[in-house]
Amino acid sequence: MSTSNLSTRVISKPSIHESVSLSFRSQLNPFPVLDPTPFSRTNVYQPSTLPSIQNGIRELRERIETVKNTKKVTEAMKLVAAAKVRRAQEAVINGRPFAETLVEVLYSINEQCQLEDVEIPLTAIRPVKKVALVTITGDRGLCGGFNNAVLKKVETRIEELKNLGLDYTVISVGKKGNAYFRRRPSVNVDTTIEREYFPTSKEAQVIADNVFSLFVSEEIDKVELVYTKFVSLIKSDPVIHTLLPLSAKGEVRDVSGKSVDASEDEFFRLTTREGKLTLERDRVTGLKRTEFSPNYQFEQHPAQILDALMPLYLNSQILRALQESYASELAARMNAMSNATDNAVELKKNLSIAYNRERQAKITGEILEIIAGAEALM
Amino acid sequence: MTLNLCVLTPNRIVWDSEVKEIILSTNSGQIGVLPNHAPIATAVDIGILRIRFNDQWLTMALMGGFARIGNNEITVLVNDAEKGSDIDPQEAQQTLEIAQANLRKAEGKRQIIEANLALRRARTRVEAVNAIS
Repeated sequence: MSTSNLSTRVISKPSIHESVSLSFRSQLNPFPVLDPTPFSRTNVYQPSTLPSIQNGIRELRERIETVKNTKKVTEAMKLVAAAKVRRAQEAVINGRPFAETLVEVLYSINEQCQLEDVEIPLTAIRPVKKVALVTITGDRGLCGGFNNAVLKKVETRIEELKNLGLDYTVISVGKKGNAYFRRRPSVNVDTTIEREYFPTSKEAQVIADNVFSLFVSEEIDKVELVYTKFVSLIKSDPVIHTLLPLSAKGEVRDVSGKSVDASEDEFFRLTTREGKLTLERDRVTGLKRTEFSPNYQFEQHPAQILDALMPLYLNSQILRALQESYASELAARMNAMSNATDNAVELKKNLSIAYNRERQAKITGEILEIIAGAEALM
Repeated sequence: MTLNLCVLTPNRIVWDSEVKEIILSTNSGQIGVLPNHAPIATAVDIGILRIRFNDQWLTMALMGGFARIGNNEITVLVNDAEKGSDIDPQEAQQTLEIAQANLRKAEGKRQIIEANLALRRARTRVEAVNAIS
């Protein structure tokens, strides 16, 4: 009897979705009264190219569960990244007094020293034969195009250097960069440094020591830093700055020697307004260069003092780059996870619609079977 | 008249309050600073900074930097600073032994220089802890 067949079919597990559809269709054929087109249309979709939506009911249910769990994970990752962005900002703000005082001191000492001819090894400008590129990437993925943007910038720079006939070497910081360069043996990699959880000055010290020894031993004539500058929560730019030789005034210079000093820096704060995360900016007025400064007597020879200052400056520059990179990575991850969550919501909606359609079709089919069977009996 | 001491590292402000007197290790020896000291600028070596605060001496391990002494305002900029009370004695001792082993293993000028620096830093930390007790 068709009804008993129907009941057994419902209980058994359909192993392949085609078998479900085929048996369904075969049950429908004895009832020409009904227009079978609405149901057969869904079945016709089955062997099409997009296997995404039209699976069996059980598969659809499983998929909906998976998508729901994935959505939870991506949402959690987005919130975690948002919380870490605030901590990263605080770290940048905490490092400000140091950096500002340092530049002030450098400036005033330079003014006092202008009469003397002071030679500092870190500002020595030599004819450039070999350039070191310090690349700062992230440790983990799931951050959108963040790592790729930096690595592409490095590649372009390497091409430029090759065209200029200069030799180069790469110092890679961060697991993603390390893995990338390991797969490209054509690029000379000097050292690879693993990053720690949060950029600290100890980590900056390691990189600084490395770079310092390379520069002073004259293996390298120029050191450039490739990192991502944090512009806003949605936008971040990979930039290349010249790290060594340092300019005597302590300015930040980009590759062509132009000064790109961040004289007017912005503070970004992540706050909530009406339940949504927004970004607020506060501008910081430029450094107040105190006109009055007591004439400092130098305890040691100015060269020695500048010698002690330059590594500090180097350290703070590297730390700043690390912190900005870290903040950009977090912002990129936040965006990527936010998009992933939105996609998950949409996918779940589509899957639910398809699932309900299948479920209703099955129920209607069962009802028809029962009615037809009842009629046949009468 | 008290001195206002500011110890800054790239990470954070380690100390920012008034003190009575400090003793600083520089490249050319130790200098003591009392209120109304003449303004000087000096490089700071990897060593110990002693602070007299509420009639007590506190020690801080400094990892090299710069100090500026102005009109009763002292600004110390260092790469890293740790208060003696924050250092774990066993861990500091272990770091010292590791640094000594590394120095013995070091080859080549670059490695010897780096190993020497690490050794001095480790030794300073151990001294900072011991100086309190």
